[in-house]
Amino acid sequence: MATLSIKGVRKSFGSVEVLKNIDIDLEDGGFLVLLGPSGCGKSTLLSIIAGLESSSGGDIVIGERNVNDVHPKDRNIAMVFQSYALYPTMSVRRNIGFGLEMRKVDPQTRESEVNKAAEMLQIEHLLDRKPGQLSGGQRQRVAMGRAIVRDPDLFLFDEPLSNLDAKLRVEMRTEIKRLHDRLGTTVVYVTHDQIEAMTLGTRVAVMKGGVIQQLAEPQTIYEKPANMFVAGFIGSPTMNFLAGRLERADGGLVLSHGDAALPLTELTQDAGAYVGKQVVAGIRPETLHPGSGGSTLTGTVDVVEPTGPDTMVILNVGGQMLTARVGSRDRPKLGEAMTLSVDTAAINLFDPDSGDRI
Amino acid sequence: MAQTRSGSKLLWDVISYAVLVLLALVCVFPIIWTFLTSIKVEEDIVTREMVYFPTRFTFDWYVRLWSQSGYPVLVMNSLMVTSLTVLICLLTGTIASYAFSRFHFPGRTQLMLGYLVVRMFPAVLMIIPLFIVMRQVGLLDSTHGLAIAYTSFLLPLFVWMLKGFFDAAPKELESAARIDGSTRLGAMFRIVIPIARNGLVATCVFVAIAAWNEYLFALMLTTSQGSRTWPVGLQLMVGEFQLPWGMLAAGGMISILPVIVLFAIVQRVMVAGITAGAVKG
Amino acid sequence: MSRAAYPPPRTIWDGINPIRMIGELSETRYWMYLLLLPSAMLITAVVLYPTVYGMQMSFREMRLNRPDLGTDWVLFKHYARMLADPIFWTSLRNTAVWVTSSIALEFLIGLIAALALNRNLPGTKLLAVLILLPYFLPNVVAGHMWALMLDPRMGVINDLLVKTGLLVGYKAWFADPATAMAAAIIVETWHSFPFFTLLIMAGLKGIPADLYKAADIDGAGALAQLRLITLPMLKTIIAAAVILRVIGLVNSPDLLLILTSGGPGRSTQVLSLYAFQMAYKDFNFGYAGALSVVMFVLLMLFAWAYIRLSKVNQD
Repeated sequence: MATLSIKGVRKSFGSVEVLKNIDIDLEDGGFLVLLGPSGCGKSTLLSIIAGLESSSGGDIVIGERNVNDVHPKDRNIAMVFQSYALYPTMSVRRNIGFGLEMRKVDPQTRESEVNKAAEMLQIEHLLDRKPGQLSGGQRQRVAMGRAIVRDPDLFLFDEPLSNLDAKLRVEMRTEIKRLHDRLGTTVVYVTHDQIEAMTLGTRVAVMKGGVIQQLAEPQTIYEKPANMFVAGFIGSPTMNFLAGRLERADGGLVLSHGDAALPLTELTQDAGAYVGKQVVAGIRPETLHPGSGGSTLTGTVDVVEPTGPDTMVILNVGGQMLTARVGSRDRPKLGEAMTLSVDTAAINLFDPDSGDRI
Repeated sequence: MAQTRSGSKLLWDVISYAVLVLLALVCVFPIIWTFLTSIKVEEDIVTREMVYFPTRFTFDWYVRLWSQSGYPVLVMNSLMVTSLTVLICLLTGTIASYAFSRFHFPGRTQLMLGYLVVRMFPAVLMIIPLFIVMRQVGLLDSTHGLAIAYTSFLLPLFVWMLKGFFDAAPKELESAARIDGSTRLGAMFRIVIPIARNGLVATCVFVAIAAWNEYLFALMLTTSQGSRTWPVGLQLMVGEFQLPWGMLAAGGMISILPVIVLFAIVQRVMVAGITAGAVKG
Repeated sequence: MSRAAYPPPRTIWDGINPIRMIGELSETRYWMYLLLLPSAMLITAVVLYPTVYGMQMSFREMRLNRPDLGTDWVLFKHYARMLADPIFWTSLRNTAVWVTSSIALEFLIGLIAALALNRNLPGTKLLAVLILLPYFLPNVVAGHMWALMLDPRMGVINDLLVKTGLLVGYKAWFADPATAMAAAIIVETWHSFPFFTLLIMAGLKGIPADLYKAADIDGAGALAQLRLITLPMLKTIIAAAVILRVIGLVNSPDLLLILTSGGPGRSTQVLSLYAFQMAYKDFNFGYAGALSVVMFVLLMLFAWAYIRLSKVNQD
C-alpha cells in the first residue's frame, strides 16, 4: 500500500498534446477514478503510471519512490485490463501465479497464495481451465485474482467492466468495492461510466482534452460541478441548463427567465459581479417536482418517458427544453401546461462564456 | 417470389459445385497423371494406345531413380539448404517481425515498404552480384551460400507473413506480463511467441516450401553434385541423359510429396497468414 | 497476502547472466532497433549491396569468359546496344503478351473459384485445398507434368483432344511457334491462379454480410451485387494481387526456362529469360545487368502508374 502523487505530468505524441500538466495526490488506501469521454487522456495517464508509456515530463511518485525511470516490472503495481489480458496458453492457476513466478517466489508459497486469491474471488473450481474456456465474468475474476495475489502497492484498473453485460457489470462493481474495502490497497481506476465513478471512487478526476476539469469527492462533483462540462457529464438524465439573467431583488439574487424569477441561495461571493448579466443555471432533473410551492417554472409537456421507478418529463419552458424526474405515477398529458417547483438551493450557476461555475 | 428466390439460390449452388469440382479436377489431374506414369511399366507409357487405367504396376522407376542417379544426394542437399534457410529466417526474422508488429518508431513504415520493394528487384539483378560476391568469399557452390542467398527474397516474406500472426496477439498481454514482473524479452518469449506458435510454424513451412522448390538461384549458384539441389539435378538429368518419363515422373512425385504433406497439415493457418499479410500490405 | 520479494533477488550470477542483461536491454528505448539489426544487416548484405552492385555493373564491361576485355566503365554502351538489339524488342513484346494474358486468365479463374468457395457449401473445404495446391508446387515439377501431358507422341491431352474430335492429330505444342506461348500461358495459369483465389477469398471475408442483405431487400440480383458490391469492395486487394503477380511474372523466368528456354525460335523469349541466359550462358554480366535494370525500371513505372490509377478510380 502506498500513496500516489502525479506531479506536472505531460504527454505529447508528436505535436499533439494529450496530457497537459496533470497534478494529482492520492492518499494511502484511496480509490481514484479517472473519468472522461474517450480520447480525454485517461488511459494514457494510467499507462504512464504503470510505466508502459513514458511521459514527456513530470514525475510519478509511488510511496516515497520516484518511479520515472523504473521499469513496469519493478514498480510493484498490478493492473486489470479491459480485455483482461489473460495469457491464453496458460491455465488459470498459472495466470494468477505468473507475477509470483516472475518474482521467483517458491512454488509452495505461490500455490497457497493463488488458492487464497481464488477463494476470495470464488474461482477455485476454475483453476485448471484455460482462459478460453471461461465466461466473461469468470475471466474478469481471474484478472482480478492475478492482480490481488501480488499484494502490490497500487492497483490499476483500465475500464475493467466495459466488456461485461449490464447485469454482470453491476455485480462486479460491487465485487470491486468489496475487495477494496477488504484489502485497502490504493487504486487508480479508469472508466467512462459515471455510475462506476460515483459508486467506487473516494476521489474522482473528471478529464477532458488532457486536462483535469475537476478533482474532488464524488458527491462534490455531483452537487458542485466545477464547470458545465463536468455538470453535463455527470448525472443521468443530464443536468438541465437554463439560460437567464441574474438580477438583484428583495436583497437577494434572482434568476429571471421569461416570466419566472428564481430566487437563489448558497451562491459564492463572486456571483454579485454577474448581476445584470446572462448566466446559465444548472438544474438537476430530480430537483424539479410537480407542484406550485416556492419558486416555480411552467412549461408545456413535450415528451413523457416512463422508466419504471421514475417518469422523465421533458418540458418546453420558454423555448428551452428541461427534463424533470417525477414520480412513477405522474403521467402528464402531452401538450398540457405543467408547473414545477424548483429546489433553488440545488441550483448551480455557470458563466456562459467560460462555462465555469460561479 | 420466395419460390424463385430459393430457386435461384439452388441454381447458383449447383453452378458453384460444378465449377469447383471441375477446377479441382483440372488442378489435381496433372499430379494424378504424373503419379500414374511413375508406376506404369515402360510399355504402358510409350505406347500407341493411351493407357488410362494401367493393370500392371511397378516401383522400378523409383528404385532406379534412387539407386542409379544421384537423387538421394540431391534431396539431402535440398534438405540442408531448406533447413538452413528456415533457421536463418527464424533467428533474424522472428524478432524483426515482432518489432514491426509491436513498436511504432520513426521509419517503420518506410522500412516495411522497403522489405516489400525488395521483391521488385529482378532475380537476375541479384543473382549475378551474388554469384560474384559468393565466389569471392568462397560460398559459391555451397549449401550455406545458397541458403543465405535464399534469405534475400524469403526473409522479407517471412517477416511480413509472421507480422500478421503477431498482430493477432493483443498488446495488452505484454503489458500485463511486464507489470507481472517480466521484461519485454521475457514477455516476447513467454507470452507472445507461444500464442503465435501456429502462425510461426505455418510461416516456417511456407518458407521451407519456397526454398525446397527454388530453381533459378540454385541453378546459378551451385555448380557441382556436392551442393546441387533436386530441382537443378532433376532438370540436368532431363537434359543430359534423356531421362525416361517414368523416372522423371518418379522424381517429381518424390519431390512434391513433402510439399503436399506439409501443405495439407498446415494449410488452414498458412492460408490465413498469407492472406492476412496481403490484405494489410 | 505475503509480500512478493522486491526487488527480485540479485546474486553475482544475476550480474553476468546474459539473458538477464538482454532482458534489461529490452526495457530500453533502443530495443526495437536491436531486434531489427540482424535482419537489416542480412538484407543489406544479400539484397541492397548486390542490387547496387548489379546496377553499377550495367555500366561496365563485365564478361566472365572474356577476362581480356577487363571491367572498365562503358557508360551507356549496354543500353545503347539494347536499343539496337532485335531480341530485346522481341522479348519486350513477348513479356507484355506473357504477363497480360497470364494475369487476365489467372484473375478470371481465381475470381470465379473464390466466389464459388465463398458460398461455403458443404464439402467445398476439401475442394479448396485441392484448388490451392498447384500454387505450392515447384516450377520444375509443374513444368514437367505439363510437358508430359502435352508430349507430341504420348501426351494425354493430345489423346483426349483427338478422341473428342477437337484435334485431327497429335500436336507438338511447344515446338510450334504459333502455340508455344499459349501452351506456356496455360501452364502458368494452372500454376498461379490459386494466388488470386487466396487473396480474393480473404477480401470476400471482409465484406459485411449486411451489405448483401440490404441489396437483396433492394432487389439487386446476383450479377448486380457482384458488380456493385463485391468488385468495388475488392478493389484494393485485387490491385495488390495484380501488382504482386505482375512482379512475379516479369521477374521470374523459371517456368519458361524449364518449358521452352525461349524457343522455338524466339517465340517465348521474355526479358527475364533473356537476361538470365545472357548471364548464365554467355557470362555477359554487364549486358544482363542492363537488361535487369530496364526490367526493374519498367516494373516501378508500372506499379506507380497502376497504384495511381486505382487511387484515382477510388476518388
